[in-house]
Amino acid sequence: MAKHRCRIGIDVGGTFTDFVLANMATGELTRYKEPSVPADPSKSVERGLPPLMELAGVEPENVELIVHGTTLLVNAIIQRKGAKVALVVSKGHRGILEIGRARLANSYDFTVQKEEPLVKRNLIYETESRTMADGTIIGRPARGELKAVAEQIKAQDIEAVTILLLHSYAHPEMEQLVAADLRKRLGKIPVTESAHIWPERREFERSLIAIMNAYVNPLMTAYLNLLTKRVEGLNIKAPIYITANNGGTLSIDTARDRPIDTILSGPASGVVAATEAAAVTGNKRLITVDMGGTSCDMAVTQGGEPEYTTQTHVGDFPLVLPVVNVSAIGAGGGSIVWVDPQGVLKVGPQSAGADPGPVCYDQGGTQPTVTDCYLLTGFIHPDHFLGGRMHLDRKGANKALEEIAKKIGIKGPDRAVKAAEAALQVTTAIMSTELYKGLAQRGEDPRDFALMAYGGAGPTQGNLLAQEARLTQIIVPPAPSVFCAMGAILADVKRDYVRSNHLKFAEGKQAIKDLATIFRTLEKDAKAWIKTEGKLLGKAEFTATVDMRYAGQAFDLQVIIDDKLRSKPTVEGLSELFHIEHEKIYGFRDLESGVEVTTERVQVTGKIPPITLPKLKRKKGTKAAERRKVFYEGKFRNVPIYHRNELGAGEVIKGPAIIEQSDCTIVIIPKWSAKVDGIGNLLITADGKKTKKKK
Amino acid sequence: MGKETVQLDPILLEILNRKVAAAADEMAVTLQRTSRSTYVKEAADYGTGIADLNGNIFGYPARNSVNHINRFCGPSIRAIPDLKPGDVIVTNDPYLSGGLATHLPDLHMIKPFIHAGKIVCYGWCFIHFSDMGGRVPSSISPSNHEIFQEGLRVPPMKLVRKGVLNEDFVKIFTANCRTPDANMGDVQAMLGALHTGSERVADIIERHGVATFVACQKALQDYTAEKTRAVLRRIPEGTYAFWDYMDDDLVTRIPLRFRIAMTVADGKIHIDLSGSDPQVRAAYNVPTLGIAHPWLMMRLISFILTNDSSMALNAGIYRHISVTNPAGTIMNAEFPDAVGIRHAAARRLSDAMTGAILKASPDIMAAPSCGASVPFVVAEQSPEGGKPAVQVIEPLRGGMGAWKGHDGADNRENTMNNMNNHPVETVEADAGVVILSYDIHPDSGGPGRWRGGVGQRITTEVLRDGCTILARGMERLRFSAWGVAGGKPGRPFRAILNEGRTDETELSKIDQLSVKAGDTVTFMMPGAGGFGDPYLRAPESVRTDVERGFVTREATADDYGVVITRDGQVDDKATKKLRSGRVRDNIRADFDFGPEREAWEAVFDDKTMEVLNTGLYSLPKSVRQEKRRWIVSQAVPDLPVAGTRSLAETMADPDAIRARLVKAMAEVFGDERAAN
Repeated sequence: MAKHRCRIGIDVGGTFTDFVLANMATGELTRYKEPSVPADPSKSVERGLPPLMELAGVEPENVELIVHGTTLLVNAIIQRKGAKVALVVSKGHRGILEIGRARLANSYDFTVQKEEPLVKRNLIYETESRTMADGTIIGRPARGELKAVAEQIKAQDIEAVTILLLHSYAHPEMEQLVAADLRKRLGKIPVTESAHIWPERREFERSLIAIMNAYVNPLMTAYLNLLTKRVEGLNIKAPIYITANNGGTLSIDTARDRPIDTILSGPASGVVAATEAAAVTGNKRLITVDMGGTSCDMAVTQGGEPEYTTQTHVGDFPLVLPVVNVSAIGAGGGSIVWVDPQGVLKVGPQSAGADPGPVCYDQGGTQPTVTDCYLLTGFIHPDHFLGGRMHLDRKGANKALEEIAKKIGIKGPDRAVKAAEAALQVTTAIMSTELYKGLAQRGEDPRDFALMAYGGAGPTQGNLLAQEARLTQIIVPPAPSVFCAMGAILADVKRDYVRSNHLKFAEGKQAIKDLATIFRTLEKDAKAWIKTEGKLLGKAEFTATVDMRYAGQAFDLQVIIDDKLRSKPTVEGLSELFHIEHEKIYGFRDLESGVEVTTERVQVTGKIPPITLPKLKRKKGTKAAERRKVFYEGKFRNVPIYHRNELGAGEVIKGPAIIEQSDCTIVIIPKWSAKVDGIGNLLITADGKKTKKKK
Repeated sequence: MGKETVQLDPILLEILNRKVAAAADEMAVTLQRTSRSTYVKEAADYGTGIADLNGNIFGYPARNSVNHINRFCGPSIRAIPDLKPGDVIVTNDPYLSGGLATHLPDLHMIKPFIHAGKIVCYGWCFIHFSDMGGRVPSSISPSNHEIFQEGLRVPPMKLVRKGVLNEDFVKIFTANCRTPDANMGDVQAMLGALHTGSERVADIIERHGVATFVACQKALQDYTAEKTRAVLRRIPEGTYAFWDYMDDDLVTRIPLRFRIAMTVADGKIHIDLSGSDPQVRAAYNVPTLGIAHPWLMMRLISFILTNDSSMALNAGIYRHISVTNPAGTIMNAEFPDAVGIRHAAARRLSDAMTGAILKASPDIMAAPSCGASVPFVVAEQSPEGGKPAVQVIEPLRGGMGAWKGHDGADNRENTMNNMNNHPVETVEADAGVVILSYDIHPDSGGPGRWRGGVGQRITTEVLRDGCTILARGMERLRFSAWGVAGGKPGRPFRAILNEGRTDETELSKIDQLSVKAGDTVTFMMPGAGGFGDPYLRAPESVRTDVERGFVTREATADDYGVVITRDGQVDDKATKKLRSGRVRDNIRADFDFGPEREAWEAVFDDKTMEVLNTGLYSLPKSVRQEKRRWIVSQAVPDLPVAGTRSLAETMADPDAIRARLVKAMAEVFGDERAAN
């Protein structure tokens, strides 16, 4: 039985639920797609698992691990469909969610509106409890105050209560006291302290993490219970893990307690898969582009590690948890092509989404989208879309793009397809400028990077994008559209821990002693937790960062510190790291102001035994399966079409060519060629150019 | 395509539109990433762009503040006749840069971008530096009255010559500011941004050719001009006069009037500012040099972009807007007037522009926003002596104006800037204060069928002796943000020392306020104007406002004609009775300016102000302010400080005041003019 051990990764998307099964003995990968059931995502899991296992030839008892990702929670927040939460705050601060960070989403629009808070102000209750920054308690619950609060909460059908008292990140006692009191009075209604979920300074951001956690908790619990039941119903006894924001995974119990840690996990998993897939290609610096039906996300990985950020958003809300740094870039397959009243061609930012979708889906969409342009130019075939599951309406797309042609003054028999190509040029320009901007934000030069293109439309657009952005190589992994599911089973178990404080090196040795204690405590907490996360895990590893600043500055720089400095921090060692980082970004060291530490973070990783990706057999000289007319640079060309599953390692396909596979279409433009590597990645490079191999 | 046909086809135009905007945006990103200035990090007080050979911006990033879409690089470029590849121009002086800079802390740079040995365009950027020298730390103080007090003046000159930094400039610059290291760090950030821009422009030229790149510069401006005009055509034709006031100029107690006459014809706008009050002996003057300057049109630009979010941002947006703005008004300062806080005046001018557009049509514009934003600062004397530690507690915010169909946003506002606040936990860790309350200011939003946004309310206790409170920008203590189309004004600004204690004191505008340990200061930010008759507001909306605390239960009857019961429900019967029995004579169908402005204008009406200002402008500048002060003091000898006694009380006998005014004017200007 052991030789048939396998792992299953499952990613629930808006249209399809993707499955990847890895046979640990043979290294063989099996992929499967099942239409999603938006109302109950676990239903599509239940439906998809039996055919997946049948395809792979494994039995339920062979499954040793299921890793699952879902966008259920982020949608609940965006659509405001979570639990009714009450918030308890220090007196005078009921405005916390109304004021937020005081910024509006737009700087010139006089009709701009604020985001709707997750807790309305009438469900925010005050307590006299108040701690100062140094821990001094200047207010305790007034007599009868918490009793009255509890009664009001009970009268309001509240499903969860969050406590946010000022300075609890460093001094959690008062929050614990209030929570304990309310727990006694409220019985079954869960009560959580903000510092218990994420003890970082900045009350608005901390409150959001705790509130969002409470807000999606009932939904997550119900979902995970249902999922467990359904998976067990299929006689699968394997543990279920849930993908996390930081590119790792969490046991189902941790995910139930801390759903907030899983909220942005979908795109993060894809980046993890990209990092792993690129490892064998020799490319250590990657831009990942995940282009789907409605959106397009980019991320950067360097040296085999995805990049993290602590500044991201969930819907309208800022999120300061460490997450894989994925940012949207303005176009996807669903982006709408339109013409402004002055006759200028535009693409996006509106998207036709999955409903009504592109015109060619024939589901009522009337405005042409980027996908319609792919269809008209012949990049994608109307009968081969999604492995032939969905026939595309070429006539409808043609009609819609004829309208565009008319408005921008394109005439002649090929006007619709010419308009389609024009729209793709604009799309490519938008994507390449966004990509450059993303790299500029990181202070990097795009030309040092290879492009990893995945998602349903990524490989269709990738070559056009790379040419425009002047990247030298595109990598298309073997199964681009189930990449997030793939990432799920490649990921290790990870969790982040944080402490905030104010340690001033200038004030003597105590600061560094405190720092050492904090790291010890964080490591101890992390160790204790990881032990409970399952038997599969190997040795625990730790990485640490500190946020530092010069005294008097309002903002911090994050510095990564090594094991030695973590276990034995020194003022000199830390200060020097900070000076170097400051000098790198701002061009100077400030030796007059003291250095301060404000935040410490530790990430613990429990290694999952690695999967060896299967080798592809060598084979060359594959014949084109067929030829079709493809419109590119102003004319139709008769272009060879290959089937990806017929290509062996070492095969070279010269552009112009199209490679089709069941889940996507790969376009290779003239003067570029694709080579198949040993594990089935397609490496597309410009002819006559040597691929840059970066360290 | 319309009349102003672009040269490029509509596909290439859009591609270049995206690319030049992105090139400018990459400059911004580079600058933002490598600048350490709080003004850049928190307030986004910086700008980048790419200008054509005339110095007009054709590439501009959406992330920049729109106040700066066109900065006139032309005069500064022309000031350096021997400009060579590898040079960078630097300047910060409004008067010497031809209106490129608007106060000294903004340091601007211009770099020629070269292709095949020829200049093809210019990169431009600026940062608001934390300190540029001058009389006070941070260089800005309302009581400065000459630009010489506001810091080091840099006429357009070469910062970099053929790629080599001008060390002479650096020496003078670093010797004249209080934070030389940080300033030079920001100079490097700007040079880095310009370098990024030149690389991206080279990329565009390599991909599309220099001819296309040059053609797109005009084509994009033509395109924007045409799109702008399409929006401006939505304003009904006609001439619309409107005015609004700053409470005073801080050095006098006299209200300061901003008068605008906007003429609209076929999508073209002319703005006449000649009815505005004279420049002041304080730092509120705006140096626009009589040209169609961006600082005169912020609200109009906001109107245009609200109506067309797909606009390509460039100088073309100003093409159909012209200006009459004689020298010597508050909006066209003359050398060497101080200009440090020109944004306070520009903010009030924006409100006047708001009114002019509303007069044209109440359907296309929102009621005015709160009209004030205040960086609330505590300066602490350190126990060892030496430099005081200066800490911004919070940037205080009011609300946004309501408009037809919608309430205005509460306690956030984007009129002049849109910066982040500071977490209470960070402030309390860094400064010796406790923020006892940071919440909404109930009832401050102007009542209306659609309610104006409420302001913030903050109470802070000072923990140590020897602290000074600074709060520049306190405005609308006297004249509220007005209501529109039956809507009511917002509540005014209030500041209170030791609220609720026996030594409670109502504060007027704070220049510097000394406080001791245990004192509390409360700021109540003004609300924005309401829109539409509040008696038509849905009672359910009033109930929700009460439930959430934006409106108090006590205020609903007076403000909305709605009765809310003790348990928070609408009393339908009582509401109906109240609403049908309303006294009709206090309804203002178009604008409700509130009692203070009505009291002031009972004497100082538009006609009278025209006579007064015509007289004042005929006098030499050197005596103008002195005579203005004398005339008003003759008419209203007991004119109170804003925020204390009301004008309605002080000016209860307008006829007597008017008689004294006429007499005083006659004495100064001679009989003929005054009798007019």
